[in-house]
Amino acid sequence: MPIFYTCKKCTRNYSKKQYAKRVYCRICGNLLLSQFVIDPEIKDGLTKNSNWEKKSVKKNLRISSKQSFFLDRAAHNLNNRIKTRKEYLLFSRKEVQKKPNVIEKEQYLYNSEYEDALDLKRKLIKKFEKKTLKQAIPGKTISNNHGEYYSIESISESGFKKINDKKCAKILISDLKLLQRIGPKRESHLKKNGYATIEDLKNHPLWKKSAFEFINLIEKKQIGALQSYLWKSLPKSHPYIHYLAGLCKIEDFAIVDIETLGLSERPIILMGIAQIRKNGIYTNQFLLRDIPDEPSAIWAFVSCLKKECSLISYNGRSFDLPYVQQRLAYYGLDAPINNPHFDLLHFSRRAFGSKLNNCRLETVEKYLNIGRGVNVPGALVPDFYQTYLSTGNVGPLVAIVEHNKQDLVTLATLFSRLYEEWKI
Amino acid sequence: MIEKFIRQLQSDRSYKKQIVFKKVFTSQKPCFGELDFPLQANIHEYLLEHKIHLFSHQADGINQIRKGKNIVLVTPTSSGKTLAFNIPVFEAIQNDKKTTALYLYPTKALTNDQLKVIRNMEEQTGILANSNIYDGDTPKHLRPNIRNKSKIILSNPYGIHYYLPWHYKWKTFLQNLKYLIIDEAHVYRGVFGSNVAMLIRRLIRICEYYGSSPNIIMSSATIANPKDHATKLTGKEFEVISKDGSPKGKKTFIFWNPPYLDATKSARRSTHQETKDLLVQNIIGKLQTLCFTTSRQMTELITRWTREELYRKSPLLSKTVAAYRAGYLPQERRDIENKLKTKKLIAVVSTNALELGINIGTLDSVLMSGYPGSIISTWQQAGRAGRNSRESLVALIAFPNPLDQYFMKHPIDFFERIHEQAIVDLHNPYITLGHIMCASCELPITENDKLYFPELFLQSLKSLEEQNLVRKTPRGYVYVGLARPTDLVNLKSISHKNVSVFYDGKILETLSLNKAYDEAYQGAVLLHQAETYIVEELNLKRLVANVRKEDVNYHTASKKTVDVAIANTYEKKKLKTTIGLGEVTVTEFYHEYVMKTYDEIIGRKPLELPPLTFSTVGFWILIPEKIADHLNNGGFNLAGGLHAVEHAMIALSPLFAMCDRRDVGGLSTIIHPDTGCPTIFIYDGFEGGIGISETLYSKISQLLIKTLNLIKSCECVDGCPSCIFSPRCGNENEPLDKNAAILILDSLTKQLSVNELNRKTIN
Repeated sequence: MPIFYTCKKCTRNYSKKQYAKRVYCRICGNLLLSQFVIDPEIKDGLTKNSNWEKKSVKKNLRISSKQSFFLDRAAHNLNNRIKTRKEYLLFSRKEVQKKPNVIEKEQYLYNSEYEDALDLKRKLIKKFEKKTLKQAIPGKTISNNHGEYYSIESISESGFKKINDKKCAKILISDLKLLQRIGPKRESHLKKNGYATIEDLKNHPLWKKSAFEFINLIEKKQIGALQSYLWKSLPKSHPYIHYLAGLCKIEDFAIVDIETLGLSERPIILMGIAQIRKNGIYTNQFLLRDIPDEPSAIWAFVSCLKKECSLISYNGRSFDLPYVQQRLAYYGLDAPINNPHFDLLHFSRRAFGSKLNNCRLETVEKYLNIGRGVNVPGALVPDFYQTYLSTGNVGPLVAIVEHNKQDLVTLATLFSRLYEEWKI
Repeated sequence: MIEKFIRQLQSDRSYKKQIVFKKVFTSQKPCFGELDFPLQANIHEYLLEHKIHLFSHQADGINQIRKGKNIVLVTPTSSGKTLAFNIPVFEAIQNDKKTTALYLYPTKALTNDQLKVIRNMEEQTGILANSNIYDGDTPKHLRPNIRNKSKIILSNPYGIHYYLPWHYKWKTFLQNLKYLIIDEAHVYRGVFGSNVAMLIRRLIRICEYYGSSPNIIMSSATIANPKDHATKLTGKEFEVISKDGSPKGKKTFIFWNPPYLDATKSARRSTHQETKDLLVQNIIGKLQTLCFTTSRQMTELITRWTREELYRKSPLLSKTVAAYRAGYLPQERRDIENKLKTKKLIAVVSTNALELGINIGTLDSVLMSGYPGSIISTWQQAGRAGRNSRESLVALIAFPNPLDQYFMKHPIDFFERIHEQAIVDLHNPYITLGHIMCASCELPITENDKLYFPELFLQSLKSLEEQNLVRKTPRGYVYVGLARPTDLVNLKSISHKNVSVFYDGKILETLSLNKAYDEAYQGAVLLHQAETYIVEELNLKRLVANVRKEDVNYHTASKKTVDVAIANTYEKKKLKTTIGLGEVTVTEFYHEYVMKTYDEIIGRKPLELPPLTFSTVGFWILIPEKIADHLNNGGFNLAGGLHAVEHAMIALSPLFAMCDRRDVGGLSTIIHPDTGCPTIFIYDGFEGGIGISETLYSKISQLLIKTLNLIKSCECVDGCPSCIFSPRCGNENEPLDKNAAILILDSLTKQLSVNELNRKTIN
């Protein structure tokens, strides 16, 4: 309920009665702002708890209008500063060619991409004017313990390949150096004495124990444990670690990617999981219709990551997963994610790093000729979502959902293509 | 010994009656205290081994902490404050292995120093706390282990500001947090203090979310309002412990005024040269000395000159002098600290970097080259001499500027001045808003959070919501803005851009971008440990400067001019004159640099640097031409009058806007391009504004009247530190014209009360 009205410029106060007669200030002609208005449309799902402001309003009336005017201006200045502070840099193509290394660390956009994206946004807004979410993006609202979210399911064609478990085991077993404390010298010595594989070492008096343990891990398909074991002696980008995926059942992969309102500490607005099925790639996306959906959407997302799943992501190890954990903690929720994880960024750096200016997914995609249709650059996803929030127009959402789905499909392809890059 | 040294000085041929005042503080015997119940055996043994008897303030502190009270210890540097809170912390960790403690220090140097002390105590008591520093320098791969395993973590407010949104990673540590130690709390004043006050509320909010409620232990230099300050910083009740029980030796405080150069008495000998001479005499007199200067460059130059002079007498002796300042790499600083402690160095020349409690042992003498700017700082620096019961000497060497000269003429006034108040503002809309925004990014904001942010809470949320920065959800207000809130809220007005200086492929030192403009532009002589390096290139894009080593006998100083432009007028009001409020752009132009040998200019070179700008909020007062003409015709100095009014208004700003005078900037000019008249600008020293100017603007008539009263009622003749002298003036307090200032203010405030009533607001 509006309490009173204040002129935006001269801070003169008007009562509700006076306001009924005029919308502009009597003195300076500026727009009147309502003070301490409680949103009359209390949205679905808002519980009693969330309306505590109403009670406090009366007590707070004593604060001078001057001060709340100051606050408004402070907030306005703050917002202006936010607008000048982008989390991405704009570059012309020339500049990028000059200093490719600047770009590796920062999120960046070409000027042309930026213009295209704004153009796309305008077109989408026009196209989806007056359309509802359901009409624009077929899906359904689902509720769980923590609220509601919007679920989108679809199937795409799959080009997903992996090596099989036998080949994987064979590769691993043939390298004695994978056992700890065996280096190139010891290896050649052992090989001379007839121990060609780790399997053979089961009979070696000294290495018997570690060989048994290692082979046991392979036989039981303990991918996570094997990853940690190999990381002790190999870099995270080593092809062997990629080969480990051979031990995972094809239907147990979960390709994950999230879209957020910023690089850190802001809501996650969309999460996607892709799984490989016989008829193609099955994607399930968890979308926030508005910020209140966030906890339920994240909860639904993490509930999908079953214990036996192996994750595939692009930079998920240092971005997506910590981000999800942080947002869960933000809402007082906790769901540890300890699945084996194949972060394709590490492998891509190894495979393409020397050939490309940077290893952003878009760049790798272009290099490998993996096409995508209409696209919003990742850096502009927050901007698109903010437009959706402030206007209610679902057009920009269509682009975000499509972008996320494309990322998932690309990752499936990239995962398979990487096998061709390894020369062992 | 000190007496003898002073007599020697006075009988030296070069002595020209520089000592204008001498005050002797008599020695003081130690006063020991008793604990309410005894210490555990291993801690007791630790004390015995170090022959420590607890002084009264230490024992009091421990007793109160054990009772679960929050305390603030207000005793001088080197009175053993650290021990008073380390003992209860170690006791608690011994009793419950899960207990944790967080120590916050204002500087990294202090953190490094204190880590040594705490680790040493760990080792000797056998109580394992796995103490560690966690700040911007901590390597990423070590961080998880420190968070999970350390019982004592040392950090700084800047770091905590960034770590809070990631509180889930700190869960175990925060759940068990029993003590929060805030050292050197007097540093947190003005806008910085108000920011830290909000930050600590955010920290406590997260702690309580995880079910802990830490006791707060604070230490501070002597300030006028310790209890009030502690309460404002944290929102908790405090016991003050201020009775110092540590012994004091006899301390002689002298005021040293450089002599006139000739009989015309028009100029005094250079303060720097006087400082150098006195330092040399201290060293020859075998007094271990710490010499404070007011700038980084002077620190280096005085070191260099002192070495040169000593070298002529004894090459060996010249190696016992070192420079110390911010920007040196940690290892280098630690090395100097150690050498000072072990007496391998007889003298160290330092910026105020050594003013805080870094442990450097006992010194015989402290020289202050110029008034340090506040009474608090002066006594902090003076406190560096005379640890334990040794006799000591403190000398304040005056600059020729009016402020320093005032103290030379009125020394009694200096000693009677009370310590400044530490001011913290909890009602500043910018600061409150900024931190509520940060808090909304740490946990959703609910009704309950009013406890932590009692002021302007709801209104802030509404304002943030209106700008689409937070969004209401059933779980509370959630941050949804497009930038990281912690990046938008700076605790202190410092640029985050740091320039690394490379010599021979290795980092020599780091300095902020602003400092680089002062010291590391192409062609500049950069001094490092009194060695001269020539800057070959300053790359502003990569933030790198390359230097080569070259021994030159000159140094350089860049010259800047400051311009304030009105970017956007929020509002204007017409009193006796027009006063405006709005966004201003402050631009610093660096157009040339000069080369100097000692104080003599030997050359000038143009500088090509893009100007530094920042946009902030400020207000401006136009001086009607009638007044200007009147002053010009009456033989007054118009520029001096405007300058004086500017200074006095800034001096009074803390009274109206709860800030520190350092938080405000000003500029006065006899003709300003945007206004076409003589104009005085006062602006917030913070990017985007911080609400000070707005408050001052809304109370402008009171401010003008108070300023007039201040200057008029001051008994000085030509101005003094109580009225128009500013310790931070960029122009050496010149020109200043007290009478012109009175005339200006008189004409601006006349009939003001009537005017104020019919105040009209115009667009």
